[in-house]
Amino acid sequence: MTEQIDKALAREYEAGFVSDVESETFEPGLDERVIRRISEMKGEPEWMLEWRLSAFREWLKMEEPDWALVDYPKIDFQAISYYSAPKSMKDKPKSLDEVDPELLRTYEKLGIPLIEQQMLAGVAVDAVFDSVSVVTTFREKLEEAGVIFCPISEAIQKYPELIKKYIGSVVPKKDNYYAALNCAVFTDGSFVYIPKGTRCPMELSTYFRINEQNTGQFERTLIVADEGSHVSYLEGCTAPQRDENQLHAAVVELVAMDNAEIKYSTVQNWYPGDEDGKGGIYNFVTKRGICHTSAKISWTQVETGSAVTWKYPSCILKGDNSVGEFYSVALTRGRQQADTGTKMIHLGKNTKSTIIAKGISAGKSNGSYRGLVRMNPGAEGARNFTQCDSLLIGDQCGAHTFPYVESRNPTAIVEHEATTSKVSDEQMFLCRQRGLDPEKAVSVIVNGFCKEVFKELPMEFAVEAGKLLEISLEGSVG
Amino acid sequence: MSNSKSLLTIKGLHASVEEKQIIKGLNLDIKPGEVHAIMGPNGAGKSTLGYVLSGRDGYSVESGGVELNGEDLLEMETEERARAGLFLAFQYPVEIPGVSNLEFLKASVDAQREARGEEAITSADFLKEAKAACKQVNLPISFLKRGVNEGFSGGEKKRNELMQMLLLKPKLCILDETDSGLDIDALQVVAEGVNSQRSADRSFIVVTHYQRLLDYIKPDFVHVLSDGKIVKSGDASLAHELEAQGYAWLQKEPVEDELEG
Amino acid sequence: MSEWLESAITRAQDINDWLAPKRANAVELLSNTNWPTRKTEAWRYTPLRPVERSIAQAVAASTELSPVEVAGLSAIELVFLNGKFDASQLAETLPEGLSISLGQNLDDAQKSQALDAFSRIKPERHMFGLVNDALAQDVVVVSVAEGAEITQPIRISSLLSQGAESHTRVQISLAEGSRLTVIEDVQAAGETLSTAFVEYDIAKKAHLEHYRFALQTGSNIAIGGSHFNLLDHATMHSTIVAFGSDLSRLDTDIIHAGEFADAKLNAMYLLDGKELFDLHATVEHAMPNGTTEENVRCIAADSSRAVFNGRIHIHRDAQKTLAELNNRNLLMSNTAEINTKPELEIYADDVRCAHGATVAQIDKQALYYLQTRGVSRSKAQVMLNFGFINELIDLMPNAALAEWIRPIIRERFAQMEVK
Repeated sequence: MTEQIDKALAREYEAGFVSDVESETFEPGLDERVIRRISEMKGEPEWMLEWRLSAFREWLKMEEPDWALVDYPKIDFQAISYYSAPKSMKDKPKSLDEVDPELLRTYEKLGIPLIEQQMLAGVAVDAVFDSVSVVTTFREKLEEAGVIFCPISEAIQKYPELIKKYIGSVVPKKDNYYAALNCAVFTDGSFVYIPKGTRCPMELSTYFRINEQNTGQFERTLIVADEGSHVSYLEGCTAPQRDENQLHAAVVELVAMDNAEIKYSTVQNWYPGDEDGKGGIYNFVTKRGICHTSAKISWTQVETGSAVTWKYPSCILKGDNSVGEFYSVALTRGRQQADTGTKMIHLGKNTKSTIIAKGISAGKSNGSYRGLVRMNPGAEGARNFTQCDSLLIGDQCGAHTFPYVESRNPTAIVEHEATTSKVSDEQMFLCRQRGLDPEKAVSVIVNGFCKEVFKELPMEFAVEAGKLLEISLEGSVG
Repeated sequence: MSNSKSLLTIKGLHASVEEKQIIKGLNLDIKPGEVHAIMGPNGAGKSTLGYVLSGRDGYSVESGGVELNGEDLLEMETEERARAGLFLAFQYPVEIPGVSNLEFLKASVDAQREARGEEAITSADFLKEAKAACKQVNLPISFLKRGVNEGFSGGEKKRNELMQMLLLKPKLCILDETDSGLDIDALQVVAEGVNSQRSADRSFIVVTHYQRLLDYIKPDFVHVLSDGKIVKSGDASLAHELEAQGYAWLQKEPVEDELEG
Repeated sequence: MSEWLESAITRAQDINDWLAPKRANAVELLSNTNWPTRKTEAWRYTPLRPVERSIAQAVAASTELSPVEVAGLSAIELVFLNGKFDASQLAETLPEGLSISLGQNLDDAQKSQALDAFSRIKPERHMFGLVNDALAQDVVVVSVAEGAEITQPIRISSLLSQGAESHTRVQISLAEGSRLTVIEDVQAAGETLSTAFVEYDIAKKAHLEHYRFALQTGSNIAIGGSHFNLLDHATMHSTIVAFGSDLSRLDTDIIHAGEFADAKLNAMYLLDGKELFDLHATVEHAMPNGTTEENVRCIAADSSRAVFNGRIHIHRDAQKTLAELNNRNLLMSNTAEINTKPELEIYADDVRCAHGATVAQIDKQALYYLQTRGVSRSKAQVMLNFGFINELIDLMPNAALAEWIRPIIRERFAQMEVK
């Protein structure tokens, strides 16, 4: 079977087209002048610039982390352009009618129509194109409910007090190398604020698109769910098929106040590079949420894209009775490398966390789960359950598990389990005997393997994720 | 207390688990040598009663009192209650791998003898007694060497409970659904064991859902427990009545009471 | 680099003996090694401050030391006194098929063979393994002839008097179809520093029964390694029993270099006071059809710190491997700490690998059950702790050792309970 798998591992990357948009793009290079220019382009207040610059100075002193099981040539940070925006966005279009139709067509092609009438009912979208937000839909409707959903660049001007209070509060500037870089050069992203006791009336979603060559995307998302509120947020991303590697270093911060709940779902489909590992996105992302008393943060991710993924969406369970969840499917094929997992830091009493991570490795790829569960001395009665399962398709790939368990409270309970398996001949035989072709059989088996995670996704995304896996595995058996 | 000769007196007992009240005003008086059956539907609080009386963590008494031999039972630690003569035969005995049955039994007997101020039993004598007890409950001697309940079948676990009872010689035995999961042969072995231990100074509370067990262990009194209270008491014939009628009538009765009142 | 390491390197450069090429190699590697910090993955939870502060130094062999008595155990005694091999304690006649010699006493052909084997199994990444390469005072070479079944166990005792520093090394080879039992033990008097490394080359169809006791406590610093290489159909059964000390660290490597090899490792460590114990257990499946089963259990009381790293690495060619690791930890106090990291690194698809790790308190239900039978809470705790470990003691093939260690462990739990 292995041979057949190898032979047929080719797959089309459907989002690999380039949009013909005239852009204003900075010359490659990174220094304080570049940061001042980004800040100026965004019309930022002085405090924001100062914040960026202090992060930049820290970053200069830091070293690129090398502990992940990923291998890639050293990144030349001076060869990247840190800002690129369609020229048409310069005048800040007031409505969809003023937006360059080519941009709208791009999103339509990606299956994300931005015309409200055509959209999935109940999903508001912030569309980020390279370094700027193109449009944010359903804003009026959300405003009625008191929900703020807008580009973070706009929030910095309109809601400076909220931004000042929360930006960098969950992921400090010096947290890690890529986070510090993001703090210095972030361009756009989404800001969400859900007022006390409010259930956000619709799903919120941000769609990130990298288009321009030799640019990096450094977006920043901040979601604040005030006491007793509830929000479900979705994130998607794609990029054109190019031979060069492109850097994506995002920071996402979530704040769940007492009794609030944030559900954050990601379907990550950055360009993974070709079969020989040429091109593709380096996806180095820091995502972290803080839970206050009885709050809950749930991360769900389906990672199918990127050449290299370095990503650990985490929860700081600070408040008593707070809950953290991490559900992940990470699929690697070709020469992809993914080192992804989570950190659950239990500080409060009776805090609970659940980690379900499913890794599927095919081709010559390597997928690793890396996680940390820490029970601090104050985590009386806390509980964690972790299940990591890996599925290997073919004998040229790798699947790895690196869980760190640190417990300092005797009343806390941590349980970690990991298994690894392959798509068995028996399973294949059964499916084929029932009339499925081998490709469909693998996809059925893999979908079953991922079921626990898919059921956590909002419906629209679950369907998309299932399809994405199917496409990814297309031709994985001959 | 109403009767100084009582072995166990429960008065107005209210108890809860995880802030949920399960026992809601239970009264019961047991004299030495008596066998009381407590029957009732699932969720009536039958097992809870055994846990409360033995002092399990998480089971809290809100009001009421319990005396064993005139002593305040509720003031005692779990092990002190055991040493005072209370024995709970579990419905689902826990498995303790690595701790041998024999070691466990010896530790229990030693602790109880010490508490009563008796001399410690020698290992040789104890082994003799334990072997005899094994034989009586029809367990192979090899079970003494195995981990406590480790890998035992349902019936073997129940017989192991019974063996402990034989060795510890308690004053009050609470049998918590001892019949559950037993086939008729195993049931007979357990019943015979219990019957052999009946005596003028040993009492039993037999908690069961079905009347079947009471064909083998004849009770002096039968109580019906429903929603945390004893709603009906009678002699052995009550058990047969329940068998015929089931427990459905219980749901109606309180309503009728209210109407009458 | 630390002063301690610098001094070790300097001392090593003064030694000139038959191991010179190996020592030079180790010195070179050490010279390029950064002294571990918290950011060094292999020493993440185990600070080396005790080594930096150690006052231990080479002292003359003390004749007052002898291996601990174990009733019913009649072993071939291989004794190191403060690092020096004490030939006088070795039996005059050895069973047929067994040879034991000091490295420098081997003839030239044997020497060159021993030199080849030296550090062939022990991976270079162990910094103190390199220190041992460089500083080992006496190297003892043990070999079992083809098909020889040695029923009498060999016991390697490293005995240290107060303030002593010792570096002991034993090279053991089992030829095809042979059988051997080896017991490794360190007994230290306080404020000592020892590195004790043993390499085992286990040929086709040979079987090794192995024990390692690390029961030194207090201010002793004990660092060691047991490294096993298994050829086709070779089997091993290893038991590790450890307490902690200011710094106790053990590295084991099991390498499946042949097909159909089978390895079992049962490790238990019981920590009290401010003790630290760190076990890094690596299993390399380099060839197909191997099986590994590991059980690791830990109880950490008071202010102790337990560290475990259990890595299973399945190489691309190691199809049809079955490997399992089960790690269970009991945390007894608010100030104790358990850090555990089971790792799977898998490059072959037709394998069955799993690991599980739990950290919890004593089973509350079991505690209650014992109490309902009249056993006091504190006594019940001791019984349950003991039972948790005893499950692995029961798996020790050598009855005399099991009988010897049981009361020692029980005593340790009883002491824990007093605090």
